[in-house]
Amino acid sequence: MYSLKVPDAGTKPSAGPALVTVEIDGTLIAVPEGTSVMRAATEAGVRIPKLCATEMLEAFGSCRLCLVEIDGRKGYPASCTTLVAPGMKVKTQTPKLAELRRGVMELYISDHPLDCLTCSANGNCELQEMAGVVGLRQVRYGYEGLNHLKAKKDSSNPYFTLDPAKCIVCSRCVRACEEVQGTFALTIDGRGFASLVATGTNDFMSSECVSCGACVQACPTATLVEKTIEDKGQPDHVVNTICAYCGVGCGFRAEMKGSEVVRMVPEKDSKSNEGHSCVKGRFAWGYATHPDRVKTPLIRKSIHDPWQPVSWEVAMAHAASEVKRIQAAYGRGAVGGITSSRCTNEETWLVQKLIRAGFGNNNVDTCARVCHSPTGYGLKVTLGESAGTQDFISVEDADVIIVIGANPTEGHPVFGSRLKKRLREGAQLIVVDPRATDLVRSPHIEAKYHLQLRPGTNVAVANALAHVIVTEGLADDAFARARCEVGDYENWRTFVSEARNSPEATESITGVPAAAIRGAARLYATAKNGAIYYGLGVTEHSQGSTMVMAIANLAMATGNVGRPGVGVNPLRGQNNVQGSCDMGSFPHELPGYRHVSDPAVRAAFETNWAVNLDPEPGLRLPNMLDAALDGSFKAIYIQGEDPAQSDPDLHHVHAALSAMECVIVQDLFLNETAKFAHVFFPGSSFLEKDGTFTNAERRIGRVRKVMPPLAGKADWEVTVAFAKALGYEMDYAHPSDIMDEIAGLMPTFTGVSYEKLERLGSIQWPCNDAAPEGTPIMHIERFVRGKGKFALTEYVATDERSTDRFPLLLTTGRVLSQYNVGAQTRRTHNSQWHPEDVLEIHPHDAEQRGIKHGDLVVVASRKGDTRLHADVTERVAPGVVYTTFHHPESGANLVTTDYSDWATNCPEYKVTAVQVRLARAAERAESAAAAAGK
Amino acid sequence: MNTDKLVRMANQIGAFFATEPDHAVAVESVTSHIRRMWEPRMRAGLLAHVAETGGAGLSPLVLEAVTANRERLASLTPRNPT
Amino acid sequence: MNTRIYVPADAAARSVGADVVAEAIVAEASRRGVAIELVRNGSRGMLWLETLVEVVTGAGRVAYGPVAPEDVASLFDAGFLTGGAHPLGHGVTEQLPWLAKQDRLVFARVGVIDPLSVADWQAHGGGRGLRKALGMAPAEIVAAITKSGLRGRGGAGFPTGIKWQTVLDTPGEQKFVVANADEGDSGTFSDRMLMEGDPLSFLEGMLICGLGVGADHGYIYLRSEYPDAERVLTAAIANARAAGLLGPNVLGSGKAFDVTLRRGAGAYVCGEETALLESLEGKRGEVRFRPPLPAVAGLFGKPTALNNVVTFGSVPAILADGPEAYAARGVGRSKGTLPFQLAGNLKQGGLVELPFGVSLSELVNEYGGGTASGRPLRAVQVGGPLGAFLPNDALVLPLDYEAFAAKGAIVGHGGIVVFDDTVNMAGMARYAMEFCAIESCGKCTPCRIGSTRGVEVIDRVRAGEDREKDTALLRELCDTMTHASLCALGGMTAWPVLSALDHFPEDFGSPGAAAEGN
Repeated sequence: MYSLKVPDAGTKPSAGPALVTVEIDGTLIAVPEGTSVMRAATEAGVRIPKLCATEMLEAFGSCRLCLVEIDGRKGYPASCTTLVAPGMKVKTQTPKLAELRRGVMELYISDHPLDCLTCSANGNCELQEMAGVVGLRQVRYGYEGLNHLKAKKDSSNPYFTLDPAKCIVCSRCVRACEEVQGTFALTIDGRGFASLVATGTNDFMSSECVSCGACVQACPTATLVEKTIEDKGQPDHVVNTICAYCGVGCGFRAEMKGSEVVRMVPEKDSKSNEGHSCVKGRFAWGYATHPDRVKTPLIRKSIHDPWQPVSWEVAMAHAASEVKRIQAAYGRGAVGGITSSRCTNEETWLVQKLIRAGFGNNNVDTCARVCHSPTGYGLKVTLGESAGTQDFISVEDADVIIVIGANPTEGHPVFGSRLKKRLREGAQLIVVDPRATDLVRSPHIEAKYHLQLRPGTNVAVANALAHVIVTEGLADDAFARARCEVGDYENWRTFVSEARNSPEATESITGVPAAAIRGAARLYATAKNGAIYYGLGVTEHSQGSTMVMAIANLAMATGNVGRPGVGVNPLRGQNNVQGSCDMGSFPHELPGYRHVSDPAVRAAFETNWAVNLDPEPGLRLPNMLDAALDGSFKAIYIQGEDPAQSDPDLHHVHAALSAMECVIVQDLFLNETAKFAHVFFPGSSFLEKDGTFTNAERRIGRVRKVMPPLAGKADWEVTVAFAKALGYEMDYAHPSDIMDEIAGLMPTFTGVSYEKLERLGSIQWPCNDAAPEGTPIMHIERFVRGKGKFALTEYVATDERSTDRFPLLLTTGRVLSQYNVGAQTRRTHNSQWHPEDVLEIHPHDAEQRGIKHGDLVVVASRKGDTRLHADVTERVAPGVVYTTFHHPESGANLVTTDYSDWATNCPEYKVTAVQVRLARAAERAESAAAAAGK
Repeated sequence: MNTDKLVRMANQIGAFFATEPDHAVAVESVTSHIRRMWEPRMRAGLLAHVAETGGAGLSPLVLEAVTANRERLASLTPRNPT
Repeated sequence: MNTRIYVPADAAARSVGADVVAEAIVAEASRRGVAIELVRNGSRGMLWLETLVEVVTGAGRVAYGPVAPEDVASLFDAGFLTGGAHPLGHGVTEQLPWLAKQDRLVFARVGVIDPLSVADWQAHGGGRGLRKALGMAPAEIVAAITKSGLRGRGGAGFPTGIKWQTVLDTPGEQKFVVANADEGDSGTFSDRMLMEGDPLSFLEGMLICGLGVGADHGYIYLRSEYPDAERVLTAAIANARAAGLLGPNVLGSGKAFDVTLRRGAGAYVCGEETALLESLEGKRGEVRFRPPLPAVAGLFGKPTALNNVVTFGSVPAILADGPEAYAARGVGRSKGTLPFQLAGNLKQGGLVELPFGVSLSELVNEYGGGTASGRPLRAVQVGGPLGAFLPNDALVLPLDYEAFAAKGAIVGHGGIVVFDDTVNMAGMARYAMEFCAIESCGKCTPCRIGSTRGVEVIDRVRAGEDREKDTALLRELCDTMTHASLCALGGMTAWPVLSALDHFPEDFGSPGAAAEGN
């Protein structure tokens, strides 16, 4: 359950505009209409006993502890389900109410184990607290009657247990699963006295449960409790911080005992998640203290030598001398570095500063290169800012939602739950995806249109949607002409109106029936509020940037920009990918997306940093790898990224890394890239440092240190020391000093400070004099670039084509329980849900190849091959196969190509022509042996 | 740098701007994109390829842009005075 | 012309062999080469006479009953096809005092017509109310219902007109009509008899409601234990559609109304209207808190007119003959008629429709004919398993919502169950708690745990270990359940328990058992 120390007003706040004044125990209080009596009482400082009520859930009215007396009303209404009315007079404490509450509590306790002292919830149990509050002194029914004390405990979930003996049947867990998470995995089984919380199946692990933890958090007793609480006891203090997994950036309470985390609980006041979480942030943090963590710096001469543990000083001196040696021998441009979207803004800032100021070039890149670089480019060109337009809560005002190439219930689960909630409220959904994701159809959710396109044909679909909008007169001309460059708009109208962009003409390219395109276009264009959400299925294509622009075009043409419920919303992959981009991780841009060639911008940095900056764009990561094979790039500093697993065409990546003379890796673990490294700086997890992350809604939030760095240095301190060893002094006492420097140099950050973050909780940039408390929704009056720009988005087929030899198209994605290359999640119990990556293949394609469910198959592309077990499923269309890349041994990226986005070189992960065949006996034996040896 | 890759990348850029109805704008857009996004040795590689082969494999638009803007693509931005 | 013979297909009649009797009559007629026309009608409500066979003669319909298959040959021998005398003969049905004295509005056609024949129904006045309603504005329809004084017949007695007015006044593009056919109270069967005996009039009531409140669709939530009613309703709905009564263009009016029949899953609590709605939506049958009222946010959150079967059955007559005629019947604020159901230890169980105001004694002693056992009557329970047990001296009470409420009792759905002096009232109190324990939905704590503890405490009282203490605890528990339960199931379970304790303390093992409180 949530901490008892955190106040809970019992019911949700009401947004009712009018105020209603009521009298509660003699105190007058004005609250918004629609507020419950219980919440009004809380606001008046009056506590009404409750068990089934919590402000996280809709009122339910089952526990009957919160009864009150109201003048002029019969009986004893429940204060949680009774709304305030003008002039209402409420009494919360009368002898009769005391008697009734005691009577109810006596019934509760007559079916509850009396093991408070040894119960894991001891000291943090609402039932225990309420028994005290109502003054229960005896249970006259005795304990010999019918009871549930021998009910069987379910420990199947690796992270929490269900002990029905302690269940008080308040349904909070069931309601949390339905209302907050939207999974409907829990129910109350049986009726009357036999009622008990249960999964629909034998136990949690065999159920639909996604282990988000909402039920555990909602439970007022120890019925559902974290195993860490069972093992370690109740926490003694709390530190607020942010999850380090996906770009939703959930706020969490790290509940601590000394410097040991007891549990992570989502923060109710955090605007990104409003008290919800997923299995990763909530439970999969054990990697932070996993034995695989490296705690001392390591060096070696050759990548074939064993690692030598050394002191920080020795490691720094060695790394610095290598960089200097290489620059002396091969030129200043022979070195570069990669910032991490897993690290804080401050750390990213320092790494790019180190490269620009210390290395003296712009060879800095980040893992956004391989995920959302087209978002940065495409939105900058069309709207003027390299970021999403909305805040997450905006979805609650959306009436029609298009999800393109994103799988939020797996990849951005907490936002996915918010989205599903809005869909259950009646918003309509259009899914554009080659695969039938859960959003297409799951409990209480069904997409109105699923445009199941062939991988690689996004732009053709977007153009066809635009064609319908323009030719059927559905565009918001007034908006487009007033807010956008009119000439470009006219060009665009002419372009999309051409017959070749009609749904009928594109049907043979995309495989999407024209009628579905027309229906979807009409639905979106005529919506009161239409919102587009997209993910890597948009960006990771040779036309990734084109598609981002095509999306922006659709939003501008229909007037769906600049207010709640609309917008262009990239779902960013990593916790700080927005932040790492903002902080100047691109080789052609200084922080704040300003081109390096701009002398005025450079001058500001040069003054502050006391160096002269290179005005030429640097190498992007794929260019660095190419240059390495070319012999002109020799050393790289990689902070918190694993290109040797995550980047495409791994044979090429491995060859390039092997060609370098000094690879410096900074990470929590000896990852795949470390196999090619000469220096290893042990990294620090998000629990070990202070800083900020910026999530997908541009929300800057504080990451707070809860334990000392395992290796003695936080990542930012490592970069400072490395810079110093290189002879470039950096002087910061605390990450807040770095933020002050950022605020001084970035126009969108001038108003940001740790002090303000402390005060406001979080801030959405731009935050400056024009918007001192930040900017939830952008482009309201005008676009950041002034007038919005319509780009012409010609569909150009990728060079990666299916042929007779490679007849299937492989596309990739992720699953809920694992994260990216799995470095963290594979070191937690999450692997119980996804122990290996599998290949999804349509029954038709499987049958043609004699493949049965579970068979080991070989997936081969022009670039390489790998082996996976087959999952024969209709989630994929015929001709399409799908896998994930969470396990290094799966080698998905051995197969992917080096084709990339035209504007940003973002790799085309989502389309690879492959052939799939049944593995031969020898291959099966080899794989089995490898698995056994693992 | 791998010339085949540079040619492919340049052609991809050309393909995007080819739809631009104003040809002069298209040529300028291709040039500007390469000038602003490519590191000098990549630009040099492309120019060398054009010099050596007359632009084998390059689309007409890209070839036109590179040929017409050789100096601009080869040049380096002046540094700020220290 | 073939002689027409009526043999009820009502479930109560079938349970005593009506089907076999019907087969026997057909076989015997065939054997004798006599041409007959057999009609399976509803029951006339004289259950002690079932199987009641009626023959159409020149003098009217002549009744014979209770007929067993072995009586059939002798009936033919006695010339029953022309109304011949027979020991089982009762003369002209309509003239039987038990029927003649009744004032049948809701049950006017039950037992009279072929339930599935639209023509027969119309020939007997069916559809008159609907035709009138089709010519009225929605507000006029609702006003007529308000004026009639009709109150919900499901048990709560809430004014139907006010409920419909709320639905009418609540804005919403989609509204619904829902019929509560989850008749689960012990000793009640009027919903069933109406659905089996005159389903078209019930549908007519729903139709009129739809016209009145602005709903184009109705749902019937039928308890699963009524397979006969399900069969009859299914056929009746199909026939009504074929006759243009239901569908997109009701009787050519341009107005749409259709009905969907849904079967429950055997939970008593789903007769509670909000639990019914949950169940109808496909969810666990759990009670919702109120407000919002179903009239404002009911089925799928839409404004919903939810009424009992007999309530809908009462509507056609109000429209057909005017609200004044209806309101002229009854007493005080209890207007119109109620189909009472006589059950338990009675000589003559059955259905008696009378205006409100008739005394319990008249129903039990005159219509019911006293106990079946011939032993002295000890207690009467009115209004189902949650109704109070009334002692002999309460028989003077008139059947009137307010008069009953004043005595801590309920009229409810009009079910009357009679017990003779062999009953143990402590056992009945225990049964009331046990019933609540079995049927509790489990949502609210007082009902979910309280009912089980109630059974245990009554057992302890009866065992007599510390009777005084346990009786005090039982009374306190009853108080908690009454005031703290979410719905009437937990909230009213105390009524039978406390009335048994108050009126029959001796059955709890000690005269002192009732000494506490009142």
